[in-house]
Amino acid sequence: MAEEAREGRSSKDHFEVRILRQNGPGQSSYWERHRVKYEHDMNVISVLQRIAAQAETVDGKSVAPVCWDCNCLEEVCGACSMNINGRVRQACSALVDRLLEDNPSEIELQPMTKFPVIRDLMVDRSRMFRGLTRVKGWVPVDSYENMGPGPRQTRATQEVAYPLSECMSCGCCQEACPQYTKIELTRQEGESEEDFSARKNEAFDRGFVGAHAISQAMLFNSNPTGKNAAGERLDALMAEGGIQVCGNAQNCVEVCPKNIPLTTSIARAGRATTLHALKKWFDE
Amino acid sequence: MVRRLVRWHVNFILSCATTGVSPNELAGDRRTDLRDAGKQDTVEKAPAPFLARHEFLIRRLHSLSGLIPVGAYMVVHLTTNASVLNSSATFQRAVYAIHSLGNLLPLVEWTFIFLPILFHAIIGVVIIRGGLPNTGSYKYTNNIRYTLQRATGMIAFLFIMWHVFHMHGWFHFPAWLRVAEPLGGAQFSPYNAASTLGAAMSGLVVPALYAIGVLSCVFHLANGIWTMGITWGVWISPAAQKRADVVCTVIGVGLAVLSMSALGGAMKIDVEEAEAVENRMYEAKLATGELDEASSAHKRADHAAGEEHSSSADASRLHAGAGRAE
Repeated sequence: MAEEAREGRSSKDHFEVRILRQNGPGQSSYWERHRVKYEHDMNVISVLQRIAAQAETVDGKSVAPVCWDCNCLEEVCGACSMNINGRVRQACSALVDRLLEDNPSEIELQPMTKFPVIRDLMVDRSRMFRGLTRVKGWVPVDSYENMGPGPRQTRATQEVAYPLSECMSCGCCQEACPQYTKIELTRQEGESEEDFSARKNEAFDRGFVGAHAISQAMLFNSNPTGKNAAGERLDALMAEGGIQVCGNAQNCVEVCPKNIPLTTSIARAGRATTLHALKKWFDE
Repeated sequence: MVRRLVRWHVNFILSCATTGVSPNELAGDRRTDLRDAGKQDTVEKAPAPFLARHEFLIRRLHSLSGLIPVGAYMVVHLTTNASVLNSSATFQRAVYAIHSLGNLLPLVEWTFIFLPILFHAIIGVVIIRGGLPNTGSYKYTNNIRYTLQRATGMIAFLFIMWHVFHMHGWFHFPAWLRVAEPLGGAQFSPYNAASTLGAAMSGLVVPALYAIGVLSCVFHLANGIWTMGITWGVWISPAAQKRADVVCTVIGVGLAVLSMSALGGAMKIDVEEAEAVENRMYEAKLATGELDEASSAHKRADHAAGEEHSSSADASRLHAGAGRAE
């Protein structure tokens, strides 16, 4: 199959890459074409490395190297998420041979559209991490003393929890979500970094929290120690921008590179908030 | 307490009136306020917009209202309509049963039908404005259903507004009816149910618009039941959601068949024959004292009330001064 694809392209040993570039936050974006020499077993990261080395467009114009974000190169860190041929995924696991099978003429790269662009393909995903903070996506253990071993987890709980723990905060579920809309603020003149970041967090807190955070809330609510903060997590999911914003388009589960059962988490959160709301209205 | 309730209500209407502004923009407004408040060194915080503060409750009420009472009412409505397939008299009997509520009917209509539909529709518009459909990039079935749910919701809103005007007239006070009737509104007369329905469903354009509108409502309800089950956490696992999907498809197809047969039945009504049956039923009800002419005048078709019962027609004309212009 792969052999065949290479055969089909043997007539030309180069392919083109169309990149949506942006010089800085808030600036206008523009398309740029690059020609890259075909090599065996390339991924989009290696394509971007070649483009950076050339720093020259198809027209022979010398340009600043394209900027992108990456880290682990094995699809576990989530840093290199971008829109490749119109679909969000990690650049490291996007193989050029496969991409050229779909579209032999070119590869199209765009930054994610739901996060503010820092430069070119690099975006600011801080709203994602703010989402995790909102739902207290951790096990609260804080003490000066040794508290001893925590309660044991049953195998069944563990098997439900493990897939959820694979989340790498890559942003694919937000990018594909029709209910998750971009929030981009610009730093004002004379505004300190702290003030700007406080203002951003306040804006993020009012936007949709996103599928990843809902799923993490369910993960830590199922943890025997994490359960202690279950009510607070559900309160966060019922606040503005919480679970109720979900429109059940279910794109999140389709695009998740880790195959996390995000819609199952969302439905579980739906049930948990239903019961939590009843409890709050009638028990307290 | 009463003042609080009134303020709640006013806030609600005002928030709804700002549907031109997306939730994010609303949030933006408030951020500006807060920033300014910080500079002025005041402790007072600007309250979040009403819709934002009660977002969870409002969305859940929106979800619930789609099934009860709006969806449940729609099923009853379509079933009643389909009774016309049996005979015009069956349909007329069903309408008499509904109108046996007498003067309470408008109260029931507004409380359990019109206001819930308006609430569901207005909040629905707010929800639609908060999303950004992307079926172009992500052509998954459920994503297409997400977009269709919004599209059919908008069609259903427009259709229901027009349909209620077309048949019911929205309001029944005489001054309004004098405006609505010449515009093609208030065509349905409950005591000449089948004949006025048949007359209103003549031609091809009106039935075609009804087919589009009703099928949008049916899809919106069937798909809405499925998403509602996820929202409230009834069906959770993908397997359970798939089973629920089958049930909702059956409900949707069933309602589509029911509604389209009702529409077909309405188009086939022999208006003159139906009117003769209806007038006989009406006379019989007058004779038994079940109905009285005074309160019936505005529920009969104008010409039916005027034709064959001259003495009662005179009486109804007298009352028409208070009820409806002839």
